[in-house]
Amino acid sequence: MSTRLSFDKSLYAGKSVDEAVKVFAAHATFALEETPEAWVVNVTANVESKELRLTRELSNYALGLTVQSRGTSK
Amino acid sequence: MHHSVTTNLSNGSAAFTVDPSLYPLDALYGAAYVFIDRCFVFLEKNAQGHVVVSLAPKKGPADQPTLEKWAGEFSNELLSCAWRHQIAANNKQALEQVTSLALAGAMGPPSLDDLSNFDFSSQPLEDPLGIAMSWEEKYKKKPKP
Repeated sequence: MSTRLSFDKSLYAGKSVDEAVKVFAAHATFALEETPEAWVVNVTANVESKELRLTRELSNYALGLTVQSRGTSK
Repeated sequence: MHHSVTTNLSNGSAAFTVDPSLYPLDALYGAAYVFIDRCFVFLEKNAQGHVVVSLAPKKGPADQPTLEKWAGEFSNELLSCAWRHQIAANNKQALEQVTSLALAGAMGPPSLDDLSNFDFSSQPLEDPLGIAMSWEEKYKKKPKP
């Protein structure tokens, strides 16, 4: 089982999504794709029962980094 | 912003939409940043271009009143952030002027070389009301005809 997470490009910074994936790399296998509108991450957790939590943690982390990067780039 | 909150109890999350023409993206980020400490926040765009905010609890399942309470608190935070964003935008010019004056003051008084190179012939400021006009110039006696 894997979960497809789509991060809208107008809302999430690509660098932040990449950074978040690196942070959680030990806990899951990630396949990254790019569409014209979104950064897409397919998540397959090492422990299947923790996949939902892992995807949510990843989203939160990517959002936090996106907000921080906007704050520092101003 | 739609005030109706869609709660998905099976997934343990609440979702609601935010109109980006009413709330700037920076305000949305500000509110989201406050909430990532308490719950999982996910942002996406729907077909109308509105931002869909999903909130999910970090610990255990949450009941409907809790999810709706979070959505309400998020809306309040969003409004607060939007207002602060507006104030910051309104005061931006004044802040920049004060900062540049402070930096200029910190550089110390001008040297003699700076003063000798200064162009005193240029108009110092626009003075449409004549406030900067000297007393003598303003009230000098006019020659009798």
